[in-house]
Amino acid sequence: MARSLWTGSISFGLVNVPVALYSAVRDLDVHFRQLHGKDGAPIDTRRFCSEEDKEVPFEAVGHGYELDSGEQVVLTDQDLAAAAPRKTRTIDIEGFVDLDDVDPIYFDHPYFLAPVGEAEGNLRAYRLLVEVMASTDRAALGRFVMRTKEYLVLVRVRDDRLALTTMRFHDEVRPAKDVDTGGRKPAKKQLDAAKALVEALGTDWDPSRYEDCYRKRLLDVIERKRKGRKITVAEPERADTGPPPDIMAALRESLERARSGKGFDRDEEGDGDGGSREELEDLSRDELYERAQEADVPGRSSMSRDELVKALSE
Amino acid sequence: MWGYPGPMPRSIWNGTIAFGLMTVPVKLHTATESKTVHFSEVHLDDGARIEHRRFCSREDKEVEYKEVVKGYEVSESTYVVLDKEEIAAAAGDRGHVIDVEHFVDAGEIDPVFYEKTYYLGAGKDGAEPYRLLHDALDATGRAGIGRFTFHDREYLAAVRAVDGVLVLHTLRFVDELVPGADVDVPEPSRGPGRREVEMARRLIDTLHEDFRPDGYEDEYRQAVLDVIERKAAGEEIAPSEEPEAGDQDDLMAMLEASLGGARKGGR
Repeated sequence: MARSLWTGSISFGLVNVPVALYSAVRDLDVHFRQLHGKDGAPIDTRRFCSEEDKEVPFEAVGHGYELDSGEQVVLTDQDLAAAAPRKTRTIDIEGFVDLDDVDPIYFDHPYFLAPVGEAEGNLRAYRLLVEVMASTDRAALGRFVMRTKEYLVLVRVRDDRLALTTMRFHDEVRPAKDVDTGGRKPAKKQLDAAKALVEALGTDWDPSRYEDCYRKRLLDVIERKRKGRKITVAEPERADTGPPPDIMAALRESLERARSGKGFDRDEEGDGDGGSREELEDLSRDELYERAQEADVPGRSSMSRDELVKALSE
Repeated sequence: MWGYPGPMPRSIWNGTIAFGLMTVPVKLHTATESKTVHFSEVHLDDGARIEHRRFCSREDKEVEYKEVVKGYEVSESTYVVLDKEEIAAAAGDRGHVIDVEHFVDAGEIDPVFYEKTYYLGAGKDGAEPYRLLHDALDATGRAGIGRFTFHDREYLAAVRAVDGVLVLHTLRFVDELVPGADVDVPEPSRGPGRREVEMARRLIDTLHEDFRPDGYEDEYRQAVLDVIERKAAGEEIAPSEEPEAGDQDDLMAMLEASLGGARKGGR
């Protein structure tokens, strides 16, 4: 289990349950390291005092804040710790709200809460919160301080555990009043056609059908580079277009194609799933076979390397 | 900006939402901004600004930015170096198109998937199709799920109608989410009793309130600004203290007392 980011307790009325906080998100991004181009050695960053031109140890670094007057105030870590306006080791539940009333725009980072220790009373209190909260559509609204920031949080149940989500404060959400929200109300006939198209392209939300193609491509590029191959930049798959000249006609045609399962062959060359021919030529048969599995190419197991390239680039 | 009434937040991306054969020209605007009090690093001894300087770890010599390259560690201390163009080659340039693949019931998307939110405004010649898409999403309660490329990387996104505006949320991929099973939760030897569950449920009902986002201020932000002001006035800042939580030996008594308090408090 990953290291906890915070330990404290969640307090619900007078019930106080010691909990530890774990991130519910893992960082799968491809990270690069800064290197010195000349010798390939990693770059270190060091802190220097701009006045003295001398290296400064981390303990000697403070937090500077510029007042409106231009004058600078310097705070130490201890000064900042004193700003915590309340007990910093408690998630105080202030009330319960309907989860549906909270717009996703407020959601920030998701976490899990797990009970700390083996004390029977705590485990039972944790289980009680899970059972009760799982049976309502309500989420607990509370606050807590982690490191140097206070968070407004929602606590609810996910995967049979208490799940906490940090939230943005209302003044961190910009008003939308200056955004151009388009023209007049559409005519009923048009709206009906648009609604029908949305429904025709409707499906159940299944997050597992989307994978991070960017991450995959980036790892691919790294692998190709490692093997000493040339990296080429692909042309945009599709050009940016204006609105359709005849909206009603576009809706009707779309609806017809969606209903007959014809699909929308908008890509000009290939569907981008298999990759460009040039890119495919670089892959081994095993790599090609793996892609063929993903693309569900029929008869893939008996295909030669060249046949796989051909099937995937089509 | 031409032709817009009043001030308009600068758009950070212009493009087209495509679904079926329909296209909707849009502009992307930031919808959220952090108001966390921002500090700069200073040297405590003299209050001077701290600079971050790059050093080659082998030569122990300062290195200029233009001598720095990006490397990906493929095995211990072995890096594959990529230049900017090679990294951009992975971006999967979809042009400036938000390709909506399908529409799902917006209420089905668990909150954990939402990452960052942007407002969508109508783009050039986009007034009519913008309104149409907005109204269709509003009436069906659906969100368009698609992909788009922004700042040289591809995102999964949900497009929803909210209070008259189209918003775009970038979404997390399912493999970025930690499954609950990865978080150990030991079971108590005896589960909570029926009366405890009943009591806790009543406590939740008693504490029920409407979600009013502007009812919650960032008190910590204010406290930090207060400390800054006191420090500027030359005050000493004293540390704060706090108690530890104990074990819950009598859950029922705690719940009863909470319920009594919640009722009296009138929350």
